Amino acid sequence: MHIRSLVVVNVALMGALVFMDTGCRTKAGGWRWPWQKDTSSLLSNDANSSLLDNNTDLSKVTDEAGNVVSGARFEDTLQAVQGVKFSPVYFAFDSYVLPPSEVSKVEQVAQHLKQNASHVLVVEGNCDERGSNEYNMSLGENRALAVREYLVKLGISADRIQTRSYGEEKPAVAGTGEEVWHLNRRGEFALFQK
Amino acid sequence: MALAAVGTGLVAEAQSAGRPPLISVVKKGAEKDTVTLSGLRAAGPNGQLFIRTLQRDLELSGWFKVVSTGSGAVTVNGAVAEAGGGIQSNCRVAWLGKNFGWTKVSMGPAEVRKQAHQLSDEMVRLVAGEKGFAQTRIVFVNRRGRNNADLYMCDADGQGMQQITHDNVAAVGPRWAPNGRDIYYTSFLQGYPSICRLSVGGGRSNLASFRGLNTGAAISPDGSRAALILSYQGNPELYTLSLGSGQLVRLTQTRIGAEASPCWSPDGRSIVYVSDVTKTPQLYIVDVATRQSRRLTYKGAENVNPDWSAKGKIVYATKRDGGYQVAVIDPRIGEGSCELITSASDYEHPSWAVDGRHIVCSSRSTLYILDTLGDPAVRLINIAGNWMSPDWSDR
Repeated sequence: MHIRSLVVVNVALMGALVFMDTGCRTKAGGWRWPWQKDTSSLLSNDANSSLLDNNTDLSKVTDEAGNVVSGARFEDTLQAVQGVKFSPVYFAFDSYVLPPSEVSKVEQVAQHLKQNASHVLVVEGNCDERGSNEYNMSLGENRALAVREYLVKLGISADRIQTRSYGEEKPAVAGTGEEVWHLNRRGEFALFQK
Repeated sequence: MALAAVGTGLVAEAQSAGRPPLISVVKKGAEKDTVTLSGLRAAGPNGQLFIRTLQRDLELSGWFKVVSTGSGAVTVNGAVAEAGGGIQSNCRVAWLGKNFGWTKVSMGPAEVRKQAHQLSDEMVRLVAGEKGFAQTRIVFVNRRGRNNADLYMCDADGQGMQQITHDNVAAVGPRWAPNGRDIYYTSFLQGYPSICRLSVGGGRSNLASFRGLNTGAAISPDGSRAALILSYQGNPELYTLSLGSGQLVRLTQTRIGAEASPCWSPDGRSIVYVSDVTKTPQLYIVDVATRQSRRLTYKGAENVNPDWSAKGKIVYATKRDGGYQVAVIDPRIGEGSCELITSASDYEHPSWAVDGRHIVCSSRSTLYILDTLGDPAVRLINIAGNWMSPDWSDR
């Protein structure tokens, strides 16, 4: 029986994706998951934040010091900046050390951020297809963090840079072999308007 | 207790002829009891579906060999009548002077198959004294291409396959919760990795979407906590998250290093995980109470994807001779107890069945069930796809 209801849910989800791309921002400025119902029209503006969290397992996550862990991400709340492209930075096999050959590319990004105070950045880490895809999620994150660390060294405020890892899930180039792997072990840059 | 031994060869081949790869099984086949089902009469299609499913389940269990001639050490006699679009079973299982009766009504083919799974598990429990997996399910990923994947699941016999997400975005590392209903995995639906809970037959919700990395959620045996990998405090680290209070506890402090793939010990006191603090990814075990970690593996260029069975052994993928092999280790003994289950042929992401004997894993876009006692590997599904990352439910 449950299989049938799953299919219905998923058909509804596909529809949601078609119309909303990948989820959407709510009127109240919060984030609504693509599979969440838009309840904002049923609610007064003050009341909706808790209900919009209906599909979150935990209403609040705290660390050991009792601080609430915030989930605010640029991707959820800001508009992407169109028309500015940066060269990807490439990494050695199984390494998240930023190679000297790639440093000037990061310096160009730093230059842009210095000249555009309203821009913020997401550094995206990627891996080649080899190895455990779960471990590659963490390796990709460390690559993005290495780039972030260098940007901070160049004087960019850490608040302006977030990271995301796609592990081996989003190769730049399809296929296999050294040249393809090299092009896929990379950090990419996505700008957002504050 | 093996009443009759059935031997198999040293090297077994995957079921479908002409399809690579060959599977090398290290040990000879396991001992089994013979079973005859010829005394079980079925008048119609649902009854025949019941017997067919039962026969397949008994053979997949590893404890039985179904024989069509002569009298098996175990006999199943009785009738499976057609009733209301399903069946009414009335039979008796007998072995070594012992027996039990089985009478049940099931409506519709899905329920008929379910009843066969139940009877198979009951025979495994009472005759072999082991836990059967016929009623469990396997979740896995179909990666179609660049940032394009979805989750699927099937019954432990490979039947009843269902696509359970329709997102067309990357999905990583699905894991069953111990309740056998919830699946936790890493979804890229929002354009970054976040941890989702998918309730089979229900909805989907978000567990963690903090800054940076959110991945690797594994639920503790008592269902109270998730082990997960987060980077919101700087770089990827291992945490536990209380599913009741939302309290996070950080278990690792590796400024230069990345953690991945946590899995709980059966007593919930330890977590095995992957870390690259010594450059290559290796397995470590952390004591959840003291937060003390110890390194478990040294051999092999990489050791990844650990899964801890209820019987205490850890299965993982080890990179030796250029390819990944499935290895089993007893963490109480250490690496000296390591047994290689397969050849080096890209076997990845092993996951234990609830019997602590069988393992599902992927190799080159195909899913296989391996037997640590030496039965030939079985291809789980024969449908084209880029199948990977299987996880076997406990119930």
